[in-house]
Amino acid sequence: MEALSRVLAQATELTASDLKKNNAAIGAGFAYGLAAIGPGVGIGYVVGKAIESMARQPESAGMVRTTMFLGIAFTEALALIGFVVFILLGL
Amino acid sequence: MFALEFPPINEVIRWKDVFSSFNKVGIIACLAALIGVTVFLIAGRKDPMVAPKGVRNVAETGVEFIENQIVMQTIGEDGLGWTPFLLTLFVFIYLCNLPGIIPILQFPATARMALPLFMSVIVWLIYNGVGFKHHGLGYLKSSLFPPGVPKAMYLLVTPIEFISTFIVRPFSLAIRLFANMLAGHMLLVTFALLSNAMLFAETKQYMLKPMTILPVFMLVFLTTFEVLVGFLQAFIFTILTGVYIGQAKHPAH
Amino acid sequence: MHTATVAHLGAGGFRVVFSAEESTATVPAPGNTAEAAVPEKSGPSPIAPEKYELIWALGAFVVFALLMRLFLFPRLKKGMNARYGKIRSDHETAESTRAAAESEVAEYQSALASVKAEAAGRIDVARQTLETERTARIAEANARIAVRKAAAVAETDAAMAAARQSIEAAVGSVAERATELTLGKRPDPATVQRAVAEAMRSGVNS
Repeated sequence: MEALSRVLAQATELTASDLKKNNAAIGAGFAYGLAAIGPGVGIGYVVGKAIESMARQPESAGMVRTTMFLGIAFTEALALIGFVVFILLGL
Repeated sequence: MFALEFPPINEVIRWKDVFSSFNKVGIIACLAALIGVTVFLIAGRKDPMVAPKGVRNVAETGVEFIENQIVMQTIGEDGLGWTPFLLTLFVFIYLCNLPGIIPILQFPATARMALPLFMSVIVWLIYNGVGFKHHGLGYLKSSLFPPGVPKAMYLLVTPIEFISTFIVRPFSLAIRLFANMLAGHMLLVTFALLSNAMLFAETKQYMLKPMTILPVFMLVFLTTFEVLVGFLQAFIFTILTGVYIGQAKHPAH
Repeated sequence: MHTATVAHLGAGGFRVVFSAEESTATVPAPGNTAEAAVPEKSGPSPIAPEKYELIWALGAFVVFALLMRLFLFPRLKKGMNARYGKIRSDHETAESTRAAAESEVAEYQSALASVKAEAAGRIDVARQTLETERTARIAEANARIAVRKAAAVAETDAAMAAARQSIEAAVGSVAERATELTLGKRPDPATVQRAVAEAMRSGVNS
């Protein structure tokens, strides 16, 4: 990352504060991108399993749906923390 | 080369004060409380013996939704006394989320940290209060030393339980709501700016302006999506509150 | 190079300004133009809660919650409970009315069945009486017919006997006269009579 920004700095002749800003922007991008991977997989798994159990037992669909939303909410928290870090760093 | 510059975030989410110390978040919060009070006031005035319709129907649907979907699912029969609090929470959050898609207002008040933070602090106080009221110091014991764990594992489990129950919970509750609404708002801002920029671009590329339909379509889609997100986040905040209160009340499960 | 600059106008929204310049050697570095357009970060961090927002929102929420808890919700809930109670009692009334109606229907059915059974019994009795009367009448008629038949048969027999007697007498006289003419001598009338009777019996019987 640093090498990248140094290359960028040489190419565009940026000052030190610009360099810092660019570092922050790149870091923010990585922060959000990486933070979204795990929750993405997790939410997919939660919803997939929920649909499977709803298909197996349609009569318990209401309970499964509620629990699914809870699971999504817990899983999603990680991605949202990544988003907050993204805002703190990047904008 | 075409460059769209995004405004600094404080310009997107902070608005000028209407008067000193009163800004759009204050307006939306006060409006939400006012609308909620008005709806329930009108609903309470109507004759309860005829079949409910209009405002009363809305209010009763809300009450039944909270009772059947949240209280009965999370706390149980003895938690029906929490219905008014949870109903207030749900209605307030939903009415604060909804301005995110209403023209002119166009901003969810919950996308500022203030609202989710104080609400999660209130929830934190309530569920700990319920725990201490029902179990005394046994609440600490049951939440910090969960039964069925080998003695040596308490070295590891107790700090984790402490952090997750007393520190992470309120923050995750607040940040979930805040970040969801803020992310939705940023998406809407991004596509609105993109549509604007494409439509009014001074360019010689004749294909650019007709292509504005794409971000506009995305904007419409995201707006409808935000309706769902606003409802879902209000529901999740409320049901998690119910879950926490239920866990404090019946720590066995 | 096209550059779009978005300026914020407070409560009024955004103004987007585009500058379309042909790329020349004098254009400054893109990073620097962006730097010039963006003002320094104004205001607090975007995720820090602001004091006045906190106070206003907390005030609104607390007022709403207290009103809801003390005043609005109990009233609504009381109305709902009253209506549900009324609906339930109405249901119960309807249920009991239905049960009463059903028992009445059952009563009527049983009454109807007993009446039907009685009617059937009466019909049976009447039919039986009729039957016996009929058989009695038939027997009587048969008896009368038999008596008459016997009388007729007796009459016929008598007539037949009388006829036979007269025929026998006639045949006897004829036979006697013929024998007298043939033999010149009167036969014994008893012999003639016996011969005629024999001949007639065999003739009639055969």
